[in-house]
Amino acid sequence: MAEPRRLLLRPWVRALHRDLGYLAVGLTLVYALSGLAVNHIADWDPNFQNFERTHQLGPLPGDDDAIARAVVEKLSIQEKPTEVYRASDDQLDVVFSKRTLHVNPATGQVIDEGQKPRFLVRVANWLHLNRGKKSWTYIADAYAAGLLFLALSGLFMIPGRKGLLGRGAIFVALGVAIPVAYVQLSGGPEAASSAKRPGR
Amino acid sequence: MAPKLTPEVLSSLARRDLLRAAATGSVLSVLGGSYALAADDDPRTKEKRPDGRPRLPPGQRLISALKPMGGDPGDPSPASFKLKVHGEVAAPFELDFIGLLALPQTEIPLDVHCVTSWSAFDVLWSGVRVSLLAEKAKVKGDARHVIFEAANGYTANVRLAEALAPGVLVAHKANRKPLARAHGTPVRAVVPDLYFWKSAKWLTGIRFVKQDQPGYWETRGYHNHADPWLEERYG
Repeated sequence: MAEPRRLLLRPWVRALHRDLGYLAVGLTLVYALSGLAVNHIADWDPNFQNFERTHQLGPLPGDDDAIARAVVEKLSIQEKPTEVYRASDDQLDVVFSKRTLHVNPATGQVIDEGQKPRFLVRVANWLHLNRGKKSWTYIADAYAAGLLFLALSGLFMIPGRKGLLGRGAIFVALGVAIPVAYVQLSGGPEAASSAKRPGR
Repeated sequence: MAPKLTPEVLSSLARRDLLRAAATGSVLSVLGGSYALAADDDPRTKEKRPDGRPRLPPGQRLISALKPMGGDPGDPSPASFKLKVHGEVAAPFELDFIGLLALPQTEIPLDVHCVTSWSAFDVLWSGVRVSLLAEKAKVKGDARHVIFEAANGYTANVRLAEALAPGVLVAHKANRKPLARAHGTPVRAVVPDLYFWKSAKWLTGIRFVKQDQPGYWETRGYHNHADPWLEERYG
């Protein structure tokens, strides 16, 4: 008599885990890179490199357009301004795509300031923070659900002593304990928002 | 290529802090980033405000210049700038950049405090008081809150009384220089006694409302009020 066929779940779990893992690589890089960048926002601008330079060009005669042309020429700027705007007697703004020249025509002082986007990180941040909204919300939700699947399916990948019945359980417990311990030791969000409030 | 720092930020990099940054910031350096750390031992950090509160709020460190904190940039064009003052007002109006400059100007040194724990003292802001704009718009008696509206849908909510405080400005200059792009050119709000995210950059509107409407960061886990002296960082 033939043995009844056993339903073997583990090979299916492993195959799904493997393929979903491959699929998640790109998005994981995006979120991890952006996470590192934004986590340290107090220390740097994660989206742009900002610059500011001051030039002394001497008196700049003529009308606004002539002044703008002279400044652009003296600073050897190849780009064409998108706007020349007289804000006041001592402020003529020459605006470019990523920089602005704030010109004082009387003194010839030019403040040249602007931003250079950090190519890869800015895009990653834009995705991570879901600035674009729309369909990215669904992709991000699907990715989050995929991570949940990867985490849970990962528990059952390995049988025996290296799996959940042994070494695996220790590491799972450790991984769970880290955030729990941090919240316990730090006092959690309540401590951060209320403990230092005088008179409350 | 090494990242470029503004002269103001460079001046805030003490040697010890630079070494610390070199030790701890390798990941960011690889990414093209840079640390700008606090100036230490400034006697102003021990000062008291006229209201008795410490000049440096708890949990803050003093730096010597404003730091760019990102955000979704708006249109830097002064020619395209429009500021809409509206909502619960009897006389809504709209200002262009020249119109804003034509109003009575205020130049005032103010301290600002970022929720990420840095503070900058005595930033010399130039602009127009929000209270003056409110007066011009004839705010109705039932208005209770002000919503600062900015580019790309960013908003920040402030209680009316706090928005009408003398130091609250619609600013177009910092330290006598036109606002840099990183700081919201051509015009931003400055609400000095609340965490700096309330000071919306790339300002496009001031809306007076009856009921509070939590803004961009307030709906993302940050505190609705944002008092630095109460460390109201998170909701």
